[in-house]
Amino acid sequence: MADLKPILLVEDNPNDIELTLAALEESQLANEVAICRDGADALDFLYRRGAYAGREALDPTVVLLDLKLPKVDGLEVLAAIKSDPLLRVIPIVMLTASREESDLVRSYELGVNAFVVKPVGFRAFLDAIRDLGVFWAVLNEAPPGRFPRSGGR
Amino acid sequence: MSSAARSHEAAELTACDREPIHRLGTLQPHGFLLALQGPERRIVQASANVPAGPDGVLGRRLEAVFPEIAAALAEAPAEASAGVGARHLRSLTLGAGSGGLSDARAYDLAVHRSGDLTLVEMEEAAPAGPAGGLDALSSRLDAFVEGLHAAPSVADLCHLLAVEIRHATGFDRALVYRFDRDWHGTVVAEDGNGVLPSYLDLRFPASDIPAQARELYRRNRLRIIPDAGYEPVPIVPPLTPDTEAPLDLSQSVLRSVSPVHVAYMRNMGTQASMSVSILVDGALWGLISCHNQAPRRVPLPARNACDFLTRIFALQLAARERGAEAEQRLRLGAIAQRLLGAMAETEDFHDGLLARPDDLLALADAGGAAIVTAGTCRLVGRTPPDDAVRGLYRWLSAAHGGEDVYATEALAEAHPPATACAETASGLLAIAVSQRSATYVLWFRPEAVRTVKWGGNPAKPAIADPAGGPARLHPRTSFETWKETVKGRAQPWSLPEIDAAKDLRAAILGIVLRRAEEMAALSEELQRSNKELEAFSYSVSHDLRAPFRHIVGYAELLRAREGANLSEKGRHYLDTVVEAAFAAGTLVDNLLAFSQMGRNALKPIDIAMNLIVEEVRRKVMRDVAPDRTVHWRIGPLGRVRADPMMLRLAVENLLSNALKYTRGAPEAVIEVVREPDRDGEATFRVRDNGVGFDMAYVGKLFGVFQRLHRTEEFEGTGIGLANVRRIVERHGGRVSAVGELGRGATFRFTLPLCA
Repeated sequence: MADLKPILLVEDNPNDIELTLAALEESQLANEVAICRDGADALDFLYRRGAYAGREALDPTVVLLDLKLPKVDGLEVLAAIKSDPLLRVIPIVMLTASREESDLVRSYELGVNAFVVKPVGFRAFLDAIRDLGVFWAVLNEAPPGRFPRSGGR
Repeated sequence: MSSAARSHEAAELTACDREPIHRLGTLQPHGFLLALQGPERRIVQASANVPAGPDGVLGRRLEAVFPEIAAALAEAPAEASAGVGARHLRSLTLGAGSGGLSDARAYDLAVHRSGDLTLVEMEEAAPAGPAGGLDALSSRLDAFVEGLHAAPSVADLCHLLAVEIRHATGFDRALVYRFDRDWHGTVVAEDGNGVLPSYLDLRFPASDIPAQARELYRRNRLRIIPDAGYEPVPIVPPLTPDTEAPLDLSQSVLRSVSPVHVAYMRNMGTQASMSVSILVDGALWGLISCHNQAPRRVPLPARNACDFLTRIFALQLAARERGAEAEQRLRLGAIAQRLLGAMAETEDFHDGLLARPDDLLALADAGGAAIVTAGTCRLVGRTPPDDAVRGLYRWLSAAHGGEDVYATEALAEAHPPATACAETASGLLAIAVSQRSATYVLWFRPEAVRTVKWGGNPAKPAIADPAGGPARLHPRTSFETWKETVKGRAQPWSLPEIDAAKDLRAAILGIVLRRAEEMAALSEELQRSNKELEAFSYSVSHDLRAPFRHIVGYAELLRAREGANLSEKGRHYLDTVVEAAFAAGTLVDNLLAFSQMGRNALKPIDIAMNLIVEEVRRKVMRDVAPDRTVHWRIGPLGRVRADPMMLRLAVENLLSNALKYTRGAPEAVIEVVREPDRDGEATFRVRDNGVGFDMAYVGKLFGVFQRLHRTEEFEGTGIGLANVRRIVERHGGRVSAVGELGRGATFRFTLPLCA
């Protein structure tokens, strides 16, 4: 299981981090969850720079990206990832409290893979996270990354 | 219209215009003329009827032939013969023997300059008339002046003058004749003894009194023809020896008149006539025209009295006309004020003007009016048909686009297609209200010939001219000629009327401009508040929603993971926390949806309504308890043009409402039908047999957060029907509801049918 790709959660709100982790936990996904607290941190993680220089781990199997983030916001992170030929293969799920149509349209324009408006009810959130996690981390064969997969799920 | 504004070029020159009336070189026979040259007053020309005969006087000094005349001239002040027009010096009796007279004869002596010559005219004195001279008139004069002051109108003034002149002269009939701007004439007042026919209100074309005749009338205020059957008396020699030119007799009192005029008089059945010019501010305003069936002489004092009366009249007239104009301006100002008030009360100035149709017409004394834009044409009063008015609008925009005001009394001359609507629109007064959106306010005047009053009897057959004169030289043929001349012409627009239209234009522009500014300010404010609302919504969607999510999330985690450690009561509390936070979060979601509804642009497409209703029906049925019985009755709903997302939301709200409020019914019946289309709208009806509502609260039904039921009875945030109304109204439709407690509710909404 050591080569299981991590899930990257980019979220600034501690409550949301805890609830999302609980939901992932409920989904019984074995993937490690890396957490970044702002957009700049997330980009450092992906580019293995700053605090993450020399990071050995694989690229994430999916990035759960909050829209509203300090420093560099979610749409900017999305734009950076999707415009990088090496990173663009990483599936991005926008997790957001926003129902603003403009955010949604913009996200799709930037090439988001899924867009989840965090439901008020926790049960619904749980379902959404589980479905997403299972789809991207487990069921979906992620496109080949920079490091060859050594198989196993 | 002030006399000064009259166009002197208006009348075209006719053959009669070119006739050199003042150089005809003949005199009427009721007196004789001497032309004197130099300080020694040598007689160089004389009329053929001079008592001693021309041969006896020519070349001689005046003193030698007529010592009485020479003495009278010597007594006269120097300026007597210097001014314009013949000046009557005095009555003079020439003794027997003087100038070859066989017996003494009384004359009225008049003198004036003509070039280098002094012209002396000796008019045979007439026996004193019925009214005598100024002295005899003085008591009547007082009454006349009083009457002029008291006369309520210009027409009354004119009538007073006609009465007084006829009294002073003893003529059978006295007419007051007024020129209009184009020098056509109208008989505006008349006094007569019945011997001659009435000509009141008769019209004469400008050609009847041609341009140079009018100029003579202006320069020489009083003319008299005692006997139209006279034999003209030549001047001997016809040419002045020094200049080889005929004598200029334009100032002469004895001057012969045009043969055309004599024929005209005969055709009118009159032998004697007198005319007095009415000058206002130096311009010819009109004439007093007196006629007698039989030849008639008017003594000089009576003529002087007439001149005097006329000048008093003219002074009063000038004041009165200025007053009348001021009064008209005041009256029009008051009308304009009322129109302004009406415009201020309406959103669209068109509606304001049309709300007071009588005032709109009265402002320009018009028969009809129209307010025309590129797309609309609204008519008031007697106007050409709609398409003709639109045609006028296009012509005005193209040919007079840059002009603020356009006025014509002969529209067909400027715009030949208007010939067809001469009856209603011979006169057009137009104001261009706005260049950009091109709105015109138009006033129409009918053809003048249709508005003419006729005081005489136009049907009376013309009496053939016994002398075989041209048939047209008769007042009634004049009237016919005038009718031809003014065909397609309306009464001219007066300056105050044109000014009133200009003022109205300025006022409308002011209103439109102010309104535009207000709208601009409002829309700026709206945009700002819209932006603020957007920012607020965004903030609410992120920041307000999150805590509710967290509360629900943690509470559910607590229940799932620690529930076993809680008491029954504890779990109940937890459930309540979850429910309450969930409700609050849902409320925020609904609010956001509602605000987006108002902000997002509509993207209407053609929609099969049955598809939408069926989809929604299936969706809402998913949440219905399996033990409920629901009968759906969905009719053919056709197609509409609408934004599909929004329409779906509206339908969903209506159908889920219907399901919700039929929950208690043993068998719910929900009907969705399309009523017959009406007034360009499709009407849809959603009816249920649920709990209904009290019509007393129908006004609250579609309000935001208005609920008619307690939350325990029926859950909800009170925003569903507000959404329905917002969606429908944004599509240009309307919503309505009828219901009765316990007997179901019926909702209707309409959507405009698009062409």
